[in-house]
Amino acid sequence: MKPVIVIPAYNEETRIGAVIRGAKQYVPDIIVVTDGSSDHTANIAEASGARVIAHAENCGAGAATMTGIQAARILGFDTVITVDADGQHATADIPKLLEALQTQHADLVIANRFGRKNNIPLIRRLANGIGNFVTFAVTGIYLPDTQCGFKVFGPKALAEIELKMSGFEFCTEIIREAARKHWKIASVPSKVVYSEYTLAKGQSFASGLQTACKILLRTFLR
Amino acid sequence: MITFEFTPYQVVVPLFGFLMIVYAWNLVLRQKKTIWEGILWTIFWSAIGYISLFPSSLQALSTLTGIKKNENAATITAIGVIFFILFYLIMKIEELEQRLVKVVRGKALRDAGVVSGDQESEKK
Repeated sequence: MKPVIVIPAYNEETRIGAVIRGAKQYVPDIIVVTDGSSDHTANIAEASGARVIAHAENCGAGAATMTGIQAARILGFDTVITVDADGQHATADIPKLLEALQTQHADLVIANRFGRKNNIPLIRRLANGIGNFVTFAVTGIYLPDTQCGFKVFGPKALAEIELKMSGFEFCTEIIREAARKHWKIASVPSKVVYSEYTLAKGQSFASGLQTACKILLRTFLR
Repeated sequence: MITFEFTPYQVVVPLFGFLMIVYAWNLVLRQKKTIWEGILWTIFWSAIGYISLFPSSLQALSTLTGIKKNENAATITAIGVIFFILFYLIMKIEELEQRLVKVVRGKALRDAGVVSGDQESEKK
């Protein structure tokens, strides 16, 4: 297995260094895609030992993730782990996710923030529930946490994935790709840390609804 | 002997609708439109053509919807057309956004030295 960590980041200068240092303990190769950041995210990521790819404009988390995946493919990696740049995911869970990829013969492993005791705000639980429902409506696959950015793509998924959605709706698109291309999905409980910072950075309830509308619109036109 | 008397409107509109349907499926076959869009265009222009050929068909619609006056029917139709145009424009904006993202992503990979310009043009 030749894994690489892909971190899409937008103005995360206060967090990115710690995320990279934490992740490097488990996987040495890290690609940070700065998505039109106007702060020092790129410099800090580079200084922390990550390979940096910089979008000139802010294109969205989906586009940044796909750039990282494409880079990983070109550079010869066969497994990609995606981690949010705001530090909400426990990088210590990376070995657990990689283990699930192998033991469960999965193509895609998704961390499940609701699979263990985590202090998750009610509004986030509600937004995630809507995300899960919309994902189920358009893919026929029900998963407990479809909107989590902490995922592992195995060799088959990495070779086949082609994301077209640029924003947060890419999480649902990944499940749709999994359904269309018959990937085996595994779900692994994972720790998540919500702080005022992560809550402000992530999807708001309104942007979640906008994401849901975009997913439905595109689904009916594909 | 049954004779049909068409007004110019009844000739021009269905003909135009037919041309739009042919054009839409031409785009579908050239993979510039999705099948869904082709079906939507077909339904939309068929309905327009049918109503122009058989204006009395709106009578059934008025019974169904309770719209009594022709002016109301015209207003509803106009709102429908506006929605359709809006829908189409949203799709065009989405398409442009995707093209912009593709350019930004390609440039980012080139600037980072992950992919060369030659490699990218080969991919295309």
